[in-house]
Amino acid sequence: MFRGALSIWGRDMLVLRRSIFSELIAVVAYPLTLYLAFGFGLKGYISEVNGVPYPLFIAPGLISMTAVNAAFDESSWSMWFHRKVQRTIEEYRVTPVTVYDIVIGKIFSGFSQGAIKGAVVFLVILFLTPFRIDYGHLPAYVLCLAISSMTFSCLGTICGTVIDKPENIGRVQSVVIVPLIFMAGIFFPLSSYPASILPLIRLLPTTAVFEGARDALLSGSIPPQYFINLVVTAALCFALAVYTFNRKMAE
Amino acid sequence: MTHAIALNEITKTYDGFKAVDRFSLKVARGTVFGLLGPNGAGKTTLIKILTTLMRPTLGDAFVEGFSILTAGKEVRRVIGVVPQENNLDRYLTARENLILHGRLHGMRASAYNPRIDELLEMTGLASRQHDFPDTFSGGMQRRLVVARALVHEPRVLFLDEPTTGLDPQSRRALWEHIRGLRHSMTVFLTTHYMDEADALCDRIMIMDHGESLADGTATELKDAFSRAHVLQVEFRDDGAGYAEKLAGLPFVRSVERNGATFHITLTGEEAIKPLMDSLAGADIRKICLKEPTLEDVFISLTGAKVRE
Ligand SMILES: Nc1ncnc2c1ncn2[C@@H]1O[C@H](COP(=O)(O)OP(=O)(O)OP(=O)(O)O)[C@@H](O)[C@H]1O
Ligand SMILES: [Mg+2]
Repeated sequence: MFRGALSIWGRDMLVLRRSIFSELIAVVAYPLTLYLAFGFGLKGYISEVNGVPYPLFIAPGLISMTAVNAAFDESSWSMWFHRKVQRTIEEYRVTPVTVYDIVIGKIFSGFSQGAIKGAVVFLVILFLTPFRIDYGHLPAYVLCLAISSMTFSCLGTICGTVIDKPENIGRVQSVVIVPLIFMAGIFFPLSSYPASILPLIRLLPTTAVFEGARDALLSGSIPPQYFINLVVTAALCFALAVYTFNRKMAE
Repeated sequence: MTHAIALNEITKTYDGFKAVDRFSLKVARGTVFGLLGPNGAGKTTLIKILTTLMRPTLGDAFVEGFSILTAGKEVRRVIGVVPQENNLDRYLTARENLILHGRLHGMRASAYNPRIDELLEMTGLASRQHDFPDTFSGGMQRRLVVARALVHEPRVLFLDEPTTGLDPQSRRALWEHIRGLRHSMTVFLTTHYMDEADALCDRIMIMDHGESLADGTATELKDAFSRAHVLQVEFRDDGAGYAEKLAGLPFVRSVERNGATFHITLTGEEAIKPLMDSLAGADIRKICLKEPTLEDVFISLTGAKVRE
């Protein structure tokens, strides 16, 4: 069962291993720039948010952002590339593996990319940051990160499956994914929102991703409403991704 | 005996357009079967249906006795596929492409490695096995796709235009490989090259607009169409005066003129004598009966017009 998914995931990891250094440099550069620019550039203006030093306030969100972006990127572009450019999906589909093997293999590849890249950014920020975190909080944080990467990998898979034109994948990223990420309060506390829309913002899956991650890293536990949100969203996205891919392949 | 391939009134419609229309066919095991047809005839559509990439709108088909509708996985276990366009993984080396294929077929390293060595040797790619396919020539890529389709020793091999774009040497080398497979598996190929079908296939089917038009060995097809009676007549002068006269004769189906040479297609054998009578007195340099080639059979069945 799922041997095919494992083979496809293995192929993606082999390819990732070949280019890991250049990928990591590219992927670390962006959050690190944000971290230095906001965390240290603004330090004189914003010293703390709710008692948390500002660089520490934004660090968990930046790490999560790297992870979920990497997961989305990998899943969407890889699915599109293998489907439309290389047509390797067709090669997979004339072997005994099922469409479930293919979509699950691809989702786990996106997830793995997110996890690896998130972990590296975590280590780099940890190395640069003057604050020490409580290592006992790590399991909850990693769990939050893993579920979030899964969700975004599924979303990426859906985009890569239904979108045929590459420019449209870029548009989804800049119109949907980036605003969702920034609205979720990586750089500011949610209390900055007017009280009237705050309940809505709290319901966003990305809020659960970023607020949940911050709470997990700083306090060691994910608030229940965020945890439920994360798990339900991930489960829904997974089911939707598998369903969408299955439908597309039956065309 | 189960047939290697059996299609039962397969129909495929793309938004109202019938690409394949109630197509039925049985191919015996061990045959090299060639499917010929102009662009858009429906060849690739049929292969996609038989390899479970696409579901037919109506009808069912069986590969080695397994239904493509209900036993897709079993079908895929016994088939090898060379698609019309190469779909190699350019981020994997030639060997890794073959290994991934073996793994997707559930093979263990101890099973696929010797087989891959053998196939790389057979296709002349052994020395390039650790290179990436985008550094290969078109012919080498094609051979790699063929090798990949053979890793798991399929019982039925589908090849969609396997030699398009290859030089004569590579084409012949590939023909040799395919001939060598003849007894161990059934081969279903499509091609636009009549000489290829003639040289390679035990059985040929010509199709157009989603329907079969003729079916048989190359010799049978040619024999059946030699009754079309094409005469080649060459005049000593330019023969301009005869063009209209010939075309107007009731027993002449068509006249094709190329300078002083005319290709005259008659309605039947009995028309030869009246044609001679009407040409009496003409200054003829040469007159002969043309043996049809497979290409003539193809053109007479599918028409001379280029497809959109
Ligand atoms: N995905 C599709 N959507 C709509 N029409 C299609 C699709 N695929 C094929 N067709 C149409 O179906 C018909 C048969 O196409 P098919 O690819 O099977 O032809 P073919 O015989 O393989 O041609 P060629 O020799 O050019 O490869 C064509 O008229 C084509 O335009
Ligand atoms: Mg075709």
